[in-house]
Amino acid sequence: MSGESIALIMSGLLVLGLFMGHPLAFVLGSTAVLGALIAGKPMVLGIVINRIFGDVLDNYVLIAIPLFVLMARFLSDSGVTDKMFEALRHLTARVTGGLGLAVVFISILLAATTGIIGASITVMGMMALRPMLQYGYDKRLATGLIAASGCLGILIPPSIMLILMASYAPGLSVGQLFAGAMIPGLLLGLLYAVYVAVIAWVKPEWAPSINEEEQIGRGEMWRMLAIEAVPPLVLILGILGSLLAGIATATEASAIGAILALLIVILRGRFKWDTFYSALLETGRTSAMILFIVVGATAFTGVFNITGGLRASQDLMRGLADDPHTLVWVMLVSVFILGMFLDWTGIVLLSFPIFLPLVSEMGIDPLWFVVLMAVVLQTSFLSPPFGYALFYMRAIAPPDLKTGDIIRGAVPFILLIVLVCLLVVLFPGLVTWLPHKLYAA
Amino acid sequence: DTWTMTSTWPSSLELIEIDKHWVELVNKLVDDDKLTIEFYDGGSLVPAGEVFGAVESGTIQAGGDWAGYWAGRDSAFSPLSTTASLFNAVDYVNWIQEWGGAELYNEVYGKFGMVYLPYGVTNNESGFRTVSKPVATLDDLKGLRLRLSGLEQGKLLKKLGGNQVSMAGGEIYQSLERGVIDGAEFSTPNVDFSGGFHEVTKYWSTPGWHQSSSVFGVMINKASWDALDEDTQEKLKIAAHANLLWSLANTEKRATEAYAKFKEAGTEITRLDDAALEQVQKMANETIEEVACQNPLSAKVYASQLRYLADYASWRDASAPFNLGRTPNGPELAKIEACAQ
Amino acid sequence: MPIIRVIDGLNETVGRIVSIVAIVFAAIIIYDVVMRYFVGEPTRWAFDLTKQLYGFYFIMLGGYALRHQSHVRVDLVTSRLSPALRRWIEIAGYVIFFFPFAWVFARRSWNFAITSWKQGEVTYGAVQMPVYPLKMAMFVAAVLLMIQGISEVSKLLLHKADDLQPMEPLDVR
Ligand code: NA
Ligand code: NA
Repeated sequence: MSGESIALIMSGLLVLGLFMGHPLAFVLGSTAVLGALIAGKPMVLGIVINRIFGDVLDNYVLIAIPLFVLMARFLSDSGVTDKMFEALRHLTARVTGGLGLAVVFISILLAATTGIIGASITVMGMMALRPMLQYGYDKRLATGLIAASGCLGILIPPSIMLILMASYAPGLSVGQLFAGAMIPGLLLGLLYAVYVAVIAWVKPEWAPSINEEEQIGRGEMWRMLAIEAVPPLVLILGILGSLLAGIATATEASAIGAILALLIVILRGRFKWDTFYSALLETGRTSAMILFIVVGATAFTGVFNITGGLRASQDLMRGLADDPHTLVWVMLVSVFILGMFLDWTGIVLLSFPIFLPLVSEMGIDPLWFVVLMAVVLQTSFLSPPFGYALFYMRAIAPPDLKTGDIIRGAVPFILLIVLVCLLVVLFPGLVTWLPHKLYAA
Repeated sequence: DTWTMTSTWPSSLELIEIDKHWVELVNKLVDDDKLTIEFYDGGSLVPAGEVFGAVESGTIQAGGDWAGYWAGRDSAFSPLSTTASLFNAVDYVNWIQEWGGAELYNEVYGKFGMVYLPYGVTNNESGFRTVSKPVATLDDLKGLRLRLSGLEQGKLLKKLGGNQVSMAGGEIYQSLERGVIDGAEFSTPNVDFSGGFHEVTKYWSTPGWHQSSSVFGVMINKASWDALDEDTQEKLKIAAHANLLWSLANTEKRATEAYAKFKEAGTEITRLDDAALEQVQKMANETIEEVACQNPLSAKVYASQLRYLADYASWRDASAPFNLGRTPNGPELAKIEACAQ
Repeated sequence: MPIIRVIDGLNETVGRIVSIVAIVFAAIIIYDVVMRYFVGEPTRWAFDLTKQLYGFYFIMLGGYALRHQSHVRVDLVTSRLSPALRRWIEIAGYVIFFFPFAWVFARRSWNFAITSWKQGEVTYGAVQMPVYPLKMAMFVAAVLLMIQGISEVSKLLLHKADDLQPMEPLDVR
């Protein structure tokens, strides 16, 4: 059977399984099995086990995934994040659109400590959405802002997405990717803030400032801020600091982060055995969920590769684009479209084995390319019909808020993400400057 | 017939050229209707550590490798891939082709249902590259955390006071830079340079006593090998012989160029003196005795290598200074022969 | 049906015990970092051991995560269908897209584990840590996953599935 037909059959099965609503991990794995059988090569199924063991179980880099998930759980379960938001809210209270700015800043802070978008959006949604609507914020602006800002966690390091990307890109370290994504991630957050500020200035009725009686004294505010800003700063320094200052690998930094988060919980007197245990259980389920998608995807990719599907797909891409510039655009657009239907794990795991060899073949800087992909993947959370951030917002938004409003609210932020993609294409230095600065001999 | 073949090396490492060159030779020599080998870069079918299992189980028909990676399955794989301060590249070629080495490869791989064709040899590896402190004497090794692969090598380093850190090739660069390790050995100078080690290390300690030379080859599933006609089998062997010599000359040329590039990049190169190397030899001999005497098959391989050295010594030493390498003052043959029983 | 109770109970117990392992490998990593930077004596075993514990940890939790329906799915279409139709599509989903993988995973990892066990496989550096326990665990994990699939299908067949409603609201229009 030709590579083209096997590529077609396996893609067809994948789409069928997804639309039947079966878990992605097993759809990928079973498509691998069925693909091998249809191709008449049941023998190749051996590589499925070789790959699961060698690529997923015996993988030092991926240890960071459960540990960063655990850290995020410790933080959000302990209420540390609520307090941080409270403090920032008071700081920005006097500014027009201040509440919106507080949402962006706290999201960036959360992004630099955790990286689990579900947790960020849920926490922010529960804390910020009600007051925003109460004070008369435009509902689309409010939901779009919370959804978009919450997604920054997966882009701004530390990020489990970048860890997974590094394990798929030979020659790129987690540290390099973290450094590379730092500026585009912060830039995106900054643009969100600018967007809110501009809206608040042009259309004050969309982003009003909060009532006087809500405000507290300056002394009280600074005291609160000082206390509440300490834990995230300790964590950021502990994780990113130890990583970038050369004390630890990304995996070690994740363990340091988890233990520091636990210490913060204990020092704040928030430690309870049952919350601690349920954090461990939830981390177990979340880690298994993410890593089983990696298991399914590695099975899929192995069979797709050995039956010729991968080569056929690459030839198709080569046919669409014969110069590096067009190629990057083709890839960007495909990831954007995939992002409407799949989440980042599926997209990274399916597209990277096809894209990365082509990228190195064309002499494109892989670091720049991977970070560009990480940026465009931000849209996958926000683009309908399937976007995690939209689902999370739907879950926490009051019932009278229409789903259509949530989707429309996300559109300006999708455009801002596309804008950052353009900037990264036009100014590659946004990605490469920091890693070169940090990693040059 | 069509074979699927992969390698333990990713496309980013020069070592993969040895595998690719053999595949090219085979595809040139053998008619397409007899055999075509489809080669996949390392990692694209199975991860490096799983190539052995994939060929053993017949999932794929052939896999390019470095035998030392399989020492966890049988420690006899270790001397088939490299020796600490014993063989140079010519010794391996001599031993494999005329002193019975080839049969031993097939005996050890044969235990796992595979046939083996050694088809690549590289001479002395670079040696340790360190970040902040040169290793000019053996004392400098004390307390250092060094990335090093191999069973005998790890034990030998421990005797010398250093700590072996096991780490995949792809992690070394960042670990050196982040100070997770103090230094690392990886491969020959050209391969090291392609890994960018000149960017993250300042010092280089020669020679590479831990790995005096290395052998690469292809594992072939026994059933797939037996399915070939004799003529095709012969052609695969001829291609392996040709590749063996090509790989030596090619790597030595590339290593010479890379040596100059390291100097140009400002790497400070030191050399351990003869007394130090003599001490390493003594400790390497002890290590080899220890390891060999835990596994009769490993002892059998070492005994064969030592018999070759002893046998060849007379003529090699007589032909000095035009001889091929040196006759090392290696472990006592009788002791290891006793362990091989 | 007892089989559902037994399987769910088994994976629940495994999940509740294995989930604790995360804190164990976090602690080992911290210990190694401390030993390296403050004592100057890195451990020889931390690297291999944490890797093995992590592998054991997540792979054993596959069945537990399925028991809690934590695996990501895209129920764009199915969430709008009638419960009865949806139930049959779910069952078909398990038949076409779960069991082929679960079976191959279990069957092949059995061979994989037995080969390693027979060879007494250890890691290839000087530490020589055994590898077969992890490969055995992979087989056990595959079986746990497969029987959880059996339990989930039984629930669907017996109208006992309480999780036909998606975890996240999906009325995205
Ligand atoms: Na993050
Ligand atoms: Na989407």
